[in-house]
Amino acid sequence: MKKLALAVALAFAAGGALAQEKTVRISGFGAKTGPVRSFGINSEAAMQAAADVINKGGGVKLADGSKAKIVVDFYDDACNAEQGISVIRRIAGTDALVAIGPTCSNVAEPLFGILQKKVDDKTDTGLQFPVFTDVAIKVGLAKISEWAFRNVPNEMTMYSSLFYWLRQKYPDLKTVWGGVEEDFAHSRATWHVVMKDRANANNFQVLGESKWLLADTNFATQVREMKKANADIIAISAHPFSMCGALKEMQRQGVKPKVLVGLTSSSSLETLQGCAKQAQGMIIPTSFAPVTKEAKFAAEQTAKYKGAADLHSMAAWENMFILKQVMESEKISGDKSQVQADRRKIRDGLAKLKVTKGLLGDTKRTDDREADKPYLFVQAKGSEWVVLHNPL
Amino acid sequence: MDFYFGLIQLIGVHTLLGLSAYIVLLTGQVTLAQAAFYAIGAYVSGMLTVLAGWHIVPALGVGALAGAVAACAVGFPALRVKGLMLVIATLAFGEGVRIFFFNFDYQIAKGDIKVGPLGGEGFRQIRFFPENGWTTLEVMLFIWAFVIAVMALLWWFDRSRYGAVLRAVGEDEVAAQSVGVNLTAVKVSAMTVGGAIAGIAGSLYAHYTTHIEHSNFNVLVATFAIAYPIVGGLQSVFGTLAAVIFVQGFLIEGLRGLGDWRNLLFGALIVLAMNLRPQGIFWRRGA
Amino acid sequence: MLDFVQAVSDGVLFGATYALIGIGFTLVFGVMHKINMAYAAASIGAAYAGLLLLQVMAGAPPWAVFACAFLAGGLLGWLVYLACFHFIPLSHPLATLMSTVGMLLLIDEVVVHATDGMPQSYPAMFDDVMLHAGEFTLRGDLLLVFGVCVVAMACLLALLYRTRLGLATRAVSQQPVAAQLCGIQVARVNAMTFVVTGLLGGLAGAMIGASVGTLSPLLSGPLTVKGLIVTVIGGLGSIPGAIVAGLLVGGFENVFQLYRGVTERDLYVMLLLFVFLVFRPGGIFAARAGRD
Repeated sequence: MKKLALAVALAFAAGGALAQEKTVRISGFGAKTGPVRSFGINSEAAMQAAADVINKGGGVKLADGSKAKIVVDFYDDACNAEQGISVIRRIAGTDALVAIGPTCSNVAEPLFGILQKKVDDKTDTGLQFPVFTDVAIKVGLAKISEWAFRNVPNEMTMYSSLFYWLRQKYPDLKTVWGGVEEDFAHSRATWHVVMKDRANANNFQVLGESKWLLADTNFATQVREMKKANADIIAISAHPFSMCGALKEMQRQGVKPKVLVGLTSSSSLETLQGCAKQAQGMIIPTSFAPVTKEAKFAAEQTAKYKGAADLHSMAAWENMFILKQVMESEKISGDKSQVQADRRKIRDGLAKLKVTKGLLGDTKRTDDREADKPYLFVQAKGSEWVVLHNPL
Repeated sequence: MDFYFGLIQLIGVHTLLGLSAYIVLLTGQVTLAQAAFYAIGAYVSGMLTVLAGWHIVPALGVGALAGAVAACAVGFPALRVKGLMLVIATLAFGEGVRIFFFNFDYQIAKGDIKVGPLGGEGFRQIRFFPENGWTTLEVMLFIWAFVIAVMALLWWFDRSRYGAVLRAVGEDEVAAQSVGVNLTAVKVSAMTVGGAIAGIAGSLYAHYTTHIEHSNFNVLVATFAIAYPIVGGLQSVFGTLAAVIFVQGFLIEGLRGLGDWRNLLFGALIVLAMNLRPQGIFWRRGA
Repeated sequence: MLDFVQAVSDGVLFGATYALIGIGFTLVFGVMHKINMAYAAASIGAAYAGLLLLQVMAGAPPWAVFACAFLAGGLLGWLVYLACFHFIPLSHPLATLMSTVGMLLLIDEVVVHATDGMPQSYPAMFDDVMLHAGEFTLRGDLLLVFGVCVVAMACLLALLYRTRLGLATRAVSQQPVAAQLCGIQVARVNAMTFVVTGLLGGLAGAMIGASVGTLSPLLSGPLTVKGLIVTVIGGLGSIPGAIVAGLLVGGFENVFQLYRGVTERDLYVMLLLFVFLVFRPGGIFAARAGRD
């Protein structure tokens, strides 16, 4: 026994002396304060959990064959554009090779705007730093810069599929009415550009929509409109707070559509905390549910770091593994004096990708640096989001 | 280094915002409308550089002018309301301007994409600086050229008769009137100068963040605008600068190491600062 | 036509919540001639505190949660007084204003930290009661809020005009120096004013939570703005004014929304304020001018 212990100790000592611990830094950033604080908390947890798994498996293989451990840090941008810009500049000044974030679309848009628009454009003094977004979902943002990449669900594809499926499953439903949060770019665009369009394309008749604002508290007039329209399907493109207000008013006025559809990012714990009873039966297309082995594993690991697994945080998890793969295939040096060259390699590597591994299956990458993620439909049942239909 | 240049840029723009409120506060008018003039400057200059292809300097000039004109228009009715009613009236005006921009669409096609303000979606791609090869350092120096010019102007006012008159009106309107000071001229002129400064600040803001939308000009920004001169002290322009460095440099960036506690401490430290130094950071005894 | 009447009635009933917040702002102004910018945030904070009861007693009835919010409001009111008004000399009104802003930010952030920003379902009473008169409907729970508002006004007026504390409060608001000469402890009276408005605020927060159905930190910003507008329209310092103005703003807001849509609604509320400022700057019930 003693000999074995001695051998093990020597082995550790030798290992420690031989391998000087090389590290590769990936920085995360997002909202850790303010009303959307839970997003930042969950993304950070997912990133830490993923780094842990990667490091336990040896880490990232560098160009010279050695392995480096991934180090993760996370910055708070408070969902504020100026802080976001300050944070990305700060990250660019460290030895971080890539950043995962931000949470809020209103931070992503200005932030991508200060990045260099086209690589190798010497006249453009924008920041040259790769950003791989996990959460900010407003449509079409990665187009802004060739250094910006996103791994967020494509709402056009998902709602297309959802309305198609609804058309098949409920052939006698004809009409749709919308509920839109007008002052939030994401929810507004999703109704006007995505939901309405896709409903029409699948032979539903969109009778109209009711509008409200993000922080509104009185939905009586809007719900009255809904009641008059008496549509078969009501699709609500709003975030949990105002959606809950509208749903509660609908309950009060006895508005019960045959099918209730919601906004992708509202398929989270927030909705169930706010109005589980009223949201029962709501169908939402989402890019995450713990239905595969990998997905369950990711959720468990993230829970160890006190984060919840939902479509937002699990994108951060996926990003970590995609980045590991890119770092290895592009053969980054991991050398602290070659940080900018490594960043460029990562950017080029991300741009080359046509397919990435997602937790639900393979994700296609588009030419404008967005993702076409596999999705499924979930439904609010009890106090959980349960898988309703898995087209995979 | 880029990070520090960026931070100094931010401090510069916020100092201008604070100074735009400083001059109005001197006359005893507490205004929550500075964010509105900031917004007007931002949208006007953004539209000029993006839609009309102007150079930043004339666009800035027109932004400042737009801010001044709007402020002058607000200055006259503001004379009729006093004290806390003015606070609320200017708050309402500021919100009104914000909602106006929330509804404001003006897009033109440039090539195959449309540019310009699009209501709730905001005004994107205001990229004059990066497209024209300005480095972070150059933008920082550009911003600070204006900050120094405005601070010098206000410092000079403080040493001239105009400054004395401003403060006299702020101290006691009746007494000032009794020595022949024209209240209307003083208060409206202060408001106009404040509007021009806010217009410059807004124009710079639009160009260094590249994307503006209505929620960037909300009540919180208006409150910060008066917070800087109040926390800094109304004795001197350096007070406002000190307050901006304290808030943006220390409370927001400096406390990052505290993680979650940072935002909690923010409110608490402001309360503490006001209790410990109600007259402001920069205050010379007996001055 | 029915749409119009319905919009007005929906709006007026909801306006009762604005009235409750307006009363708090106006009372502090009336007594101390200062605005407590943290008032709406403290009211919402107190409503959240009411939810703490559910952590301890899972099946607690709604009225118990409201009572808890009521008491928490009083405590918060006193804390705001201590932090912002007790130590800062009266000669620095801007400092008190700024410190109340600091308190607003602090309270909001504490709430966000405690709940991770997630909306919390709030218990309600009579939220399933809808009174019908043909096509016309009235929300039962808002009628309750309305009733609470009326009772609160009555209690407050009784407090101000029938008790010694009320007498002292009125004395301090009219002539602080003379009041001190009569032996009234000004600091005590001011603290009590904050506790009383805090209690009212806690109740208002609970009523708002109950009528919206969900609590979120997003609520405090718009409530602050609306509360201040209501205070000015009603007349700074006038409690009946705050009530009437609250109902008025609630009604007009809903009518504007009916005719001009939700994106322009708030613009018209601001215009309503400006109309009052131009034609009746003192507010609906302009406070009677004091001796000086």
